[in-house]
Amino acid sequence: MAKKSDATKNSSASSNDKKKKKNKKNKPGGPTAVAMKQPRAPKPNPFETIWSRRKFDVLGKKRKGEEQRIGLARSIAIRKATSYSLPFQLLQAVSKFCLKSRIGEQNDELGEFDKAILRSQRERQLKLNKKSKYNLSDGEEDEFDNQNGLQGRDDFEDEVPFDEEDDVEDPDTEKKSSILKQLNGTDALNALKSGFIEGEENRHKTKKEVMEEIISKSKYFKAEKAKEKEENEQLVDELDKNFTSLVESRALLSLTQPDKMNALKALVNKSISSENVKKDIAIVPQNIDTLQQDKPDSYDKLVKEMGLDMRAHPSERTKTPEEIAQDEKERLEQLEKQRTYFRMLAADDSSDEDENAYEVVAQRPKSISGDDLGDSFSLDEERRTKRNWIEQILKRKIKNDGGSEHEMSSEDPESDEDDGDEEGTDEDSDEDDKTNSLKDWEQSDDDNVGTDLEGDEGGEEEDGGDEEMEPKRSKKGGLIGPIVHPEKTKGNGKMPSSQPGELPYVIAAPKSLEELSALFENRSDSQIVEAIRRIRTCNAISIAAENRKKMQMFYGVLLQFFAVTANKRPLNFKLLNLLVKPLMEMSREIPYFAAICARQRLLRTRTQFCEDVKNPEKSCWPSLKTLLLLRLWSMIFPCSDFRHAVMTPAVLLMCEYLMRCPIMSGRDIALGSFLCSMVLSVTKQSRKFCSEAITFIHTLLMAAMYRKPGRIQDSQQWHHFMEIKTPSPLLCIHTCVKEISPLDFFKLMDMPEDSPFFSSDNFRASTLASVIETLRGFVNACEGFSSFPEIFSPISKLLPELAEQEHMPYALRDNIRDVFQLIEKKVQEHHMLRRPLQMRKQKPVPIKLLNPKFEENFVKGRDYDPNRERAEMKKLKKRVRQEARGATRELRKDNHFLSARKEKEKAQLEEERAEKYGKAKAFLQEQEHAFKSGQLGKSKKRSR
Amino acid sequence: MVRPFAIKGRKRKKREDNYDREDIEELTKEEAAGTEETLDEDKESGTHELAGIPIQPFDQGTKTGAIFILEKASLEVAKVGKTYQLLNSDDHANFLRRNSKNPADYRPDIAHQAILAILDSPLNKAGRMRALYVKTEKGVLFEVKPHVRIPRTYKRFSGIMLQLLQKLNITAVGKREKLLRVIKNPVTQYLPLNSRKIGFSFSSQKLVDIRDYVASVNDDLNFVFVVGAMAHGKIENDYVDDFISISGYPLSAAGCIGRICGGLEQKWNIL
Repeated sequence: MAKKSDATKNSSASSNDKKKKKNKKNKPGGPTAVAMKQPRAPKPNPFETIWSRRKFDVLGKKRKGEEQRIGLARSIAIRKATSYSLPFQLLQAVSKFCLKSRIGEQNDELGEFDKAILRSQRERQLKLNKKSKYNLSDGEEDEFDNQNGLQGRDDFEDEVPFDEEDDVEDPDTEKKSSILKQLNGTDALNALKSGFIEGEENRHKTKKEVMEEIISKSKYFKAEKAKEKEENEQLVDELDKNFTSLVESRALLSLTQPDKMNALKALVNKSISSENVKKDIAIVPQNIDTLQQDKPDSYDKLVKEMGLDMRAHPSERTKTPEEIAQDEKERLEQLEKQRTYFRMLAADDSSDEDENAYEVVAQRPKSISGDDLGDSFSLDEERRTKRNWIEQILKRKIKNDGGSEHEMSSEDPESDEDDGDEEGTDEDSDEDDKTNSLKDWEQSDDDNVGTDLEGDEGGEEEDGGDEEMEPKRSKKGGLIGPIVHPEKTKGNGKMPSSQPGELPYVIAAPKSLEELSALFENRSDSQIVEAIRRIRTCNAISIAAENRKKMQMFYGVLLQFFAVTANKRPLNFKLLNLLVKPLMEMSREIPYFAAICARQRLLRTRTQFCEDVKNPEKSCWPSLKTLLLLRLWSMIFPCSDFRHAVMTPAVLLMCEYLMRCPIMSGRDIALGSFLCSMVLSVTKQSRKFCSEAITFIHTLLMAAMYRKPGRIQDSQQWHHFMEIKTPSPLLCIHTCVKEISPLDFFKLMDMPEDSPFFSSDNFRASTLASVIETLRGFVNACEGFSSFPEIFSPISKLLPELAEQEHMPYALRDNIRDVFQLIEKKVQEHHMLRRPLQMRKQKPVPIKLLNPKFEENFVKGRDYDPNRERAEMKKLKKRVRQEARGATRELRKDNHFLSARKEKEKAQLEEERAEKYGKAKAFLQEQEHAFKSGQLGKSKKRSR
Repeated sequence: MVRPFAIKGRKRKKREDNYDREDIEELTKEEAAGTEETLDEDKESGTHELAGIPIQPFDQGTKTGAIFILEKASLEVAKVGKTYQLLNSDDHANFLRRNSKNPADYRPDIAHQAILAILDSPLNKAGRMRALYVKTEKGVLFEVKPHVRIPRTYKRFSGIMLQLLQKLNITAVGKREKLLRVIKNPVTQYLPLNSRKIGFSFSSQKLVDIRDYVASVNDDLNFVFVVGAMAHGKIENDYVDDFISISGYPLSAAGCIGRICGGLEQKWNIL
């Protein structure tokens, strides 16, 4: 634009010139006039006034050269370029003739000759100079100029070519900057070097210093220590001196005991003697005298006594179980030998042999008990004093001889009491202790079970026994076994072959039930237990490998014996109780076999039950044997397992009994409630849920309801997907019951089905009480289930009605209310904890977040492409593009400039031509005018 | 090599915008579908399940939202030494003093906290925060998409701001979507028409409880909150309808935003 305007200006200027020329003809010719006109200051270009600056000034960025007038710069550049390029243009215009560039061509001062000389010199020099063989430069003139101080060179040779005009400054700055950089670089290098060196020095220094420091420190500490030591010594010395002076002083002497004083003095003397002997010579004899005079004090006595004391001896190592078993066996064998020997010796005492056995049993527990603490000692002592205690026993036998029978008979009420109170008196022989402990153990287990039926049987028996049991036996056999058997034996008379009471010490393991029953026949319970113990000791598995087989067989036989005993009509419950312990111990020894036995028996019971159920006439409730076996297994095997090879089928069987057996009579109710309590005891630990038991309890409670005949639809309802067959109101209490007496389950079992006791209100009340207790147990056991309210809701509905019934005993009523409240409380707790369904509540979905991508140290213009090659290529391409763009820009600029120039020239030419044309035309016109006017003007002159 | 007119479609610049829009539309469609499904499910379940448990309404597309504008955020990039850094008063106190600036004015941490407060609010999580614009002290305006996870540490934040102010946009990881980008002034051209522009200033005479204030605004109006993210001073702009102060005490930007978000969450039942 600027150029164009220039051009137009020029043209206008030329037109102006024309006018002026017309006015003043004396002025020089056109071209010169134009040349003179041009330098006159042109109109200010408005673009030149615009300042360009950056929009955002960034702190810390260099601001020099930032603000500039691009328009101005451009016009300046153009002006410069024109000034440079003018000569070129001229040259181009006269490119036809060659440029004389020979030496001294333009120098007019030199003559031709001089010039020639100079040229030849130059040539020679070039030839001489071998280095310049390939030197093609034509800088000869410069040299000459310099040599001769010749001047008057052309301007343009000095000038920078036109193309570089823009970069004139840049290279300089670049150079500068590069130099600066170099400088900086060197500086930096130097700095680095120096820094490095310094660093090294520093390190050296520090090492040395550190070493020195360490040394000096250690020295310092040593000095300190030495100093301290010295000070300490000094202090000690001082103290010693003080002390000696104190000892010598009378005051202390008067205060302390004379003997101690002596000791003190001796002590002091020692120390003093080492230091200054002279001083003490006087004192020492005195001390010695006093020492000799004194008697030994209590401390000295003690010390002397200590010297006399026994030293601690290493005891025998604790024995392994195998060794203990072996010892036991050997001991038993020895005892057997002795027994035979004694029998030979004292045949007359043989009648009391069983008593002897008793005593042996009584003595045993110490060595028996599995705890090894002090066992070896006791064994040793026993060994040592064996002779003695046997004699003692013999003596005692003789003493007891007369009153043995009497004692036996008088034992029964006591034992009864023991059972009842659970806290037996200890005035009896050791045997009672033994049984008591056993009983306690049993009892404690029963307490855990928490069934009142089983727990209360002791107290129950009195009132239960007086009805129909009279002919058979007034007292229960199981609880007073020790009496029963002796009586029996007495009744039967003496056994023919071996003396019945005598128990051999070494007994082979029986292989069949016959053998076992033969062995156990006519034995007291304790004898049986002792026999079992001996069998186990003699055939302990740890002694010999083949004993395992024997023991397995014995276990099976014993289990069979247990079942048989349980099936006997007068139930020997005490014996059963006693049998439990060995059975449990043995099943711990042979767990696999025990489990197999139990499973087989369960399987058989189940098949039998299935058959029984098909027959509606026959009662399918389990026999007492089955119940006792189930109880035994629940004690032997762990109930807390989630799945157990024996307990799971056992529980299933119990539940099946509860579910499938119809309740026909009071006996069935008793059986069922017992089963319920057993199920509770089994499932309590494992937290299993037995809906059958709870349903059964529900059924029983319904049976206790007094129901109007009209409400039949209630009698059958579905609950927990199980049909509740409400039986006839078997448990409904019709009359007032004074007191609720606990039931004895075994006695109940002994009663016939149609005994009137089952229809008595007493029985009903006590059964209800037990049922309520069981229910309480279930409530406690099930409280963890989240479906607790639903499980117990029908029962809790039933309970208040039950409590409100007339004739309900008060104690029972309270019990029922308690359970009801318990259920309600738990239900409320559960309801409190229950949350509404969360599924329906839609969780608000947060918007999905995206992570922004950014670099740690972002530098503008750097490519953060992880692919290096690609980044490199990109960079190169960018470079190429930039270069190309720059080149085109330059070219475009040049073109613009050149075209502007050309235009200018053209315009100039045009102008000149126009001028010429004008002149010519003017001349012609003048002539024509003259011609036409008849040569008025000039012709006048001519004509004149 | 000139592109034939109207053959290749619209220019890429314009298309990119479209991409975003399409994405958003797809998203909204999906969401709508999702909500419909859930609603259907709810209906189905509601027929035979307990009645009385209310079903949460869940449609955000049609509702009004809130727009936040942080004014006068002191986010400035400078060449410290040889590298460019985001100026802050702790690290560049000497630099700023050398350049005769007050270091106390360079507090990018305020903007950081404010942005975090906005983006972390349940309001944003619920999708009711429509946009966030930040205008720096220098007048650079940039947009922060609501679904950006802004770095929590200041160092990383400064890195991202540095890159944003030099590169002018920040993309998502593994996506071409621009999460932050510098946009042209003025900010008013991006605000919806039916919006109420509320400026916050401690110096304002109108002291209100933000909850009541927000509750009183019509439901069909969008909120535009203009909060200053500077250490000292006051926001000056002409587009604000109403200047209020929401506390008797001068609040920090983040605290103020917390209050605003709380008020809105209460109004819109966002828990």
